Amino acid sequence: MLEWKHEIAKRLEGTNLRAEREAEIIEEISSHLQDRYHQLRAEGATDEEACREVAVELDSTDLQAEVRDTENTVSQDPSPAGAATTGQWISDFLQDLRYAGRILRKSPGFAAVAVLTLALGIGANTAVFTIIDTLLLNPLPVEKISELLALNTTQAKMTAPSGELQPMSFLNVKDFRERTRSFGSLAAHSNPMAITMTDGAEPHRIFVEIVTANYFDVLGIHPFMGRFFHSSEDTTPGAAAVVVLGYTAWQGRFGGSSDILGRTIKLNNTLCTIIGIGPKGFKGLYAVFGPDVWVPSMMAEQILPAQQRHALSDRAIPLFTGVGRLRPGHSLAQARTEMNIVAAALEKEYADTDQGQAVTLRPLTEAAYGPERQPLFFGSVLLMAIVGLVLLIACSNVANLLLSRAAVRRQEVAVRMALGAGRSRLMRQLLTECVLLGLLGGVLGLLFGYGGCRFLWSFRPAEYAQNLADLRINASVFGFAFAVSVLTGLIFGIVPALRFSRTSVSEVLKEETRNVGRSRGCISLANTLLAGQVAISLVLLVVAALFLRSIQHEYTIDPGFETKHLALFMLYPGQVGYDRARTEQFYKQARDRIGSVPGISSVSWASNLPLWGRKETGALIEGQEQRKKSEAISAVVNTVDSNYFSTLGIPFLEGRDFTQDDRDISTRVAIINDTMAAKYWPNQDPLGKRLQLPRGKEFLQIVGVVKTTNYQTLGETPQACIYISLRQNYSDGMILYVRTERDPSTILAAVQGEIRGLDPAVPMEDMRTGTKVIDQALWWSKIGVGLLGVFGLLALGLASVGLYGIMAYSVNQRRREIGVRMALGAGQGEVSLFILRQGMTVVFSGIALGVVLALLLGRALSRFLYGVSANDPLSLGAASLVLLVVAFFACYLPARSASRMDPLVALRET
Amino acid sequence: MAPTVENEWKKGSAELLILSLLENQPRHGYDIAGLIETRSQGTLHFHVASLYPLLYRLEKRGWIQGRWVEKPDQRRRRYYRLTAEGQRVLALQRRKWQEFAGAVSRIAGVENA
Repeated sequence: MLEWKHEIAKRLEGTNLRAEREAEIIEEISSHLQDRYHQLRAEGATDEEACREVAVELDSTDLQAEVRDTENTVSQDPSPAGAATTGQWISDFLQDLRYAGRILRKSPGFAAVAVLTLALGIGANTAVFTIIDTLLLNPLPVEKISELLALNTTQAKMTAPSGELQPMSFLNVKDFRERTRSFGSLAAHSNPMAITMTDGAEPHRIFVEIVTANYFDVLGIHPFMGRFFHSSEDTTPGAAAVVVLGYTAWQGRFGGSSDILGRTIKLNNTLCTIIGIGPKGFKGLYAVFGPDVWVPSMMAEQILPAQQRHALSDRAIPLFTGVGRLRPGHSLAQARTEMNIVAAALEKEYADTDQGQAVTLRPLTEAAYGPERQPLFFGSVLLMAIVGLVLLIACSNVANLLLSRAAVRRQEVAVRMALGAGRSRLMRQLLTECVLLGLLGGVLGLLFGYGGCRFLWSFRPAEYAQNLADLRINASVFGFAFAVSVLTGLIFGIVPALRFSRTSVSEVLKEETRNVGRSRGCISLANTLLAGQVAISLVLLVVAALFLRSIQHEYTIDPGFETKHLALFMLYPGQVGYDRARTEQFYKQARDRIGSVPGISSVSWASNLPLWGRKETGALIEGQEQRKKSEAISAVVNTVDSNYFSTLGIPFLEGRDFTQDDRDISTRVAIINDTMAAKYWPNQDPLGKRLQLPRGKEFLQIVGVVKTTNYQTLGETPQACIYISLRQNYSDGMILYVRTERDPSTILAAVQGEIRGLDPAVPMEDMRTGTKVIDQALWWSKIGVGLLGVFGLLALGLASVGLYGIMAYSVNQRRREIGVRMALGAGQGEVSLFILRQGMTVVFSGIALGVVLALLLGRALSRFLYGVSANDPLSLGAASLVLLVVAFFACYLPARSASRMDPLVALRET
Repeated sequence: MAPTVENEWKKGSAELLILSLLENQPRHGYDIAGLIETRSQGTLHFHVASLYPLLYRLEKRGWIQGRWVEKPDQRRRRYYRLTAEGQRVLALQRRKWQEFAGAVSRIAGVENA
């Protein structure tokens, strides 16, 4: 009496029951009606009478309403009217979710492999996103960052296109503050500067930012503990020796002790009282590198090194970057116009110092990266693209796994469709399963990502670990991981789900349940996915190889100075209260004593760290004064002692070194490099010519020309450099350069002992060997290459597992065919070859595609590679070879097991 | 169907009837419907469209539990049995019903049969 089923089903329409439940109800009630019908007939009713009676039975009450009330009310709570559809949808979703959970529990192996595969992909994405979120998307934990603008000086007529931003002098900031109306208030802060902090006995090098009292207010941040500066503490120079400690410094250097407020620390020999702790996660306005402490600007004279001591009163000392919050209703363009007007006025009023200077007003989000913005941005995009590809491979692996399960699931799907499940409902169920897999993978992936970030960040150079940005796992990271997980589930689920839902009910139900293999279409789809995976893996391997080769080349770059037998020490005698005479005496004594230590061949002093040179703009050349107006001359300026060049192994091309006779009273002298000589005195002898330093007051005579080295980065384009004599240019903190005969790490302790012998109070930091300097310069590159390598290997691993899985599955499906071949006389070798050929065809087409893609991508990458061409045959060849070997094994193992099959067993099975 | 006094009484007692019938042995729906009709001598009749939803409701509350049973040469049927919770509810409902019926009889002046 099948028609009863039909009638009941009609009455149940719109109840939105789960398909199985609906089928059960139909079966139960129709069985009842059938019994009733038979009973009526047995009692003598005609067929027609019996049917009529039964129909009355069915229609006596509104079955649909009754069932819906019963089945869809969770506990006794009826859902409110109007919410029925949403409630229905949610209950459907929960049903689907429960069902999906059951399905996954039933095949734990599949679920584990799928979840792990996805977790690797999602983890890689989460890790990279966390880095990007910290550094680029969400760098500063300040209030309404979009309203904040940074104010810098630039040279009006720059020759260099980079438009280098420079700080401005305190007096200029003050004038901008007083003469403009665009900002509610304008604060100023210096860059992080190294100073000595003495807390107890040991001196430490820390970083300080000098800020105006309104700095924290303008940013709209609140202290974690204590308070920030009052405006009264920033009016009289030297009056208020107070300091705000950064949260990380408080945790790291003071163990987060709760009685920190009111304690005093010595900053460069000035006793300061700690009045507050900055908010957690706030490390100044540079996204990458931040200070340990903040002091009010009026303390500049006490805290700063000798050269900058007059920063508050000298318009020629640029130290500050302005930061202001736009007044409501003012636009960036208006503010810019206003700033430019003031800048023009200042240029006229203070021609001495401000000539040629313009101002730049940028959103703080842009200013937050300084010059690293472009490489950071590029690196982020590249990494994001790469982990995106890794995730794609993971998705395609899982999609393949799902296709493999199609055989098993086809029956289930067909039965559910026969019971009346709609296709869209079915797709929703299948996608729910995939999304559940994605979410499980996401949870695990978040853990992987977190671990990965921690691991990666543990490679920060220890000297700066506290000052570098902390990676934050915050709401947006969670949001990202969640979105990626759901999206991933949909991506890898959509193709198999479409395929499932297209299942033809009658065909499947007619088939034998077991041993239904994948259809031909399924296999070819799987092969396409596989070839894609191979191609993507190859691209990633090639990229990793290219950057590896690039960094290899970077290590062989000759920076132009000795690194293997070099050690250096930063010493700040000025920071323990030495005056000029005593400091100079200290330099001389240290030089003499250390020079006589066995194993040390020469010693000298210089103001710049290797590869940390800063360019200064505005030098003047005698006889070429018009250049100052048409183009600003910029050069790295380094104060050095005699013997500097021989200590660093920089050869003289012309002229002489500084000598003991170059003193304050004698002619002021300078040494330049050959880049500068060639640029400004082409075809002339620069010896005897004269130049003036940026913001200098007198001309220096050139007495020597040396070879150009790298000043800021390894492998940079040659830059102009001016060396000036330490004896003629006093500095209260210098770097001691020591040239050794053997491995420099062996003499570090001896040198330290000598300096302690001179005065144990003189702060000494950053003892490093020359090799370490190079290492640190390449830190970012190394991290990048490390990441690329890891992701490349991850991709290779995932693709090989996918390849192996598919090959093993296909061998298993074709046992019968292989059995027949063997029974007909095919040998083991032939069978292996047959299977291998099949797999390797896919691999080769993938590699061919990958090579083409890698060549295309290489073009885009070429400008970031050093010393290696984008289509470097070695990288391409090596990556292809690695992939081939791994893929070969992934195919060989299933092939071997196929060839060892007993044909009799294989044939009997089917 | 217009709500008549009988219908309301039927509704009120339906749960008690079903629980009582399942007290001693598991039964399927058709069996339950038949027993109600015969034992009430035709006074009470439950249509499928109200009987089964009621069964599902009781099952959802955890008072009864259904299970598909296949017997040789028969259609499979869903048998319901009383759960421990159902036993308690039955005892409670029985007591309440007796109190209720007694009260009604005493007031309405119907002699207790």
